[in-house]
Amino acid sequence: MASETQAREEAPRRKVTWMHIVTFAFATAISYVLAVVSSLIFPVLGAPGVSALYIAAAIYVPLGIWMGMWGCLAGYISCFFLGLYPSGYSPVQSFVWSWADFIEALVPALIYKGLKAELDFTVKRPRAAKLLPLFISTGTILLLLGVVVQVLWGATFGEPFTTIYVALVYIGTALAAAGIILGLLAGNPRTWAAQILSVIGASFCSGIWGAGTLTIFNFPPPLPAELFWPVFVGWVVGDLIVLSVISTALLMALTPVFKRTGLLVKGWWA
Amino acid sequence: MPTILGELAGVEARSKRYMELHVLTKIALPLFLSLSLPFARELHQALALALISALACAAAGVPLSALKKYLAVVVSMSAFIVLAFSLFTYIPGKVLYEVTLWRLQAEKGVFEWKIAITDASLRYSTAFILRIFAMILSATLLLASVTDRDLVWGLFSLRMPFGVCVAASLFFRGIHLFVSDFHTIREAMIARGVDFERTPLARRFMLYANALIPLLSLMITRSYEVSLALESRGISPGSRSASGYYTYKMGRSDYAITAAGVGLMLAFAAWGWLT
Repeated sequence: MASETQAREEAPRRKVTWMHIVTFAFATAISYVLAVVSSLIFPVLGAPGVSALYIAAAIYVPLGIWMGMWGCLAGYISCFFLGLYPSGYSPVQSFVWSWADFIEALVPALIYKGLKAELDFTVKRPRAAKLLPLFISTGTILLLLGVVVQVLWGATFGEPFTTIYVALVYIGTALAAAGIILGLLAGNPRTWAAQILSVIGASFCSGIWGAGTLTIFNFPPPLPAELFWPVFVGWVVGDLIVLSVISTALLMALTPVFKRTGLLVKGWWA
Repeated sequence: MPTILGELAGVEARSKRYMELHVLTKIALPLFLSLSLPFARELHQALALALISALACAAAGVPLSALKKYLAVVVSMSAFIVLAFSLFTYIPGKVLYEVTLWRLQAEKGVFEWKIAITDASLRYSTAFILRIFAMILSATLLLASVTDRDLVWGLFSLRMPFGVCVAASLFFRGIHLFVSDFHTIREAMIARGVDFERTPLARRFMLYANALIPLLSLMITRSYEVSLALESRGISPGSRSASGYYTYKMGRSDYAITAAGVGLMLAFAAWGWLT
């Protein structure tokens, strides 16, 4: 304990450098362009700015893991401008809605810090790492669909919706569990467990805020409340696919580069 | 200096007098228009706000043809809203059209999914669609009148640290740099034998996704160069400018327009509260 305190005292105080600021600005620009492109090419129809494959998330979510709050801010600002153009939300609506992307980058950063997971994406079993996104995303999507069926119809009408719900939940849980086991086999168990939790947590948390602010709570919500579930499902499915496939690949490929260049932050800002 | 929407979509405010206003006024007017939105719940209120927003755009010299850029947004949102009020929910009123799509005898009753169009659902849909016009017009007014230089100099005049001002400037420059980097990487992929036109969509998606790795590597290299340049000039992120080259001052017209914006918002709040 004493040696730990001494080491903390001896370690130089880390400061925000131009490298952090400049990388954040460029990453925000890249996220904005990708956000516009993905919301135009893969739109969730009727919900501008929502994409069934929101590729921008593959930039700012790993950035949140590498660079803490800088990634969260990159997500927020790129989403704010996406809200204004080409989505056409008013400045106030966009200000509220954009916290969805801030949350999306913050949740993985919190999970990694909470679990004290090392950023060690060395792959011991490449096949397990390749199958992992497929199992995790399919399993979670089936779970989500099961819950939606139960909430919307099963609770009110009973059979046959309850059976559909049970079947979807069982299959989804089995696939997700297989994905988690594959993750533990792929490399450093703690890192991969954190990554799996991050993918699922970020998709759901940002989906709740994003779909909620578009349909239920905003100044005013641009869409009717009845559209919450279609927008939420589209949002979560898109994020699950992008985060499990592209974002994980970027983390594996670029973590050594971020470590080498000193861009990796230890705290939240530096 | 082109405005933000000018750079993105070629739409700019043409009124010289409006463009000469203080940056805070140019931000405040669309802000108050959007703050009036929550109070425009009824059809006539939403219509009034959409018309006022259109008038503000016209006064600023923003061509209303800019709405064409949002055509896909307007059409898809309108269709989705009409569907929401006719397919996903039933709003009581005079039934104009009704058809049952699916009927199922479930355990606890009969599940019916039907399209039901009532006069009330049409009224709600129209109010929502008019609010979409108001919100798009307020966003257009903001983006078509504010330039990135306005934002950067505005931040300078607020005595914000250099770190904030440079980040704002680099964000706008970064958009063009990213597009040019993407073309470079695409050409490199083509030179190595990738035929984007003949590649199936799913494979093309994966190719573009893989292109993100060199794109981010280029971004890091560029960040390194820019930050070295800034450091070599002795500028620290936390320092502030002693004096600005350009000083922004609020004029009489700035105060008048800001006051009109506040008045408009208060008027809508009172109207919404009374109805």
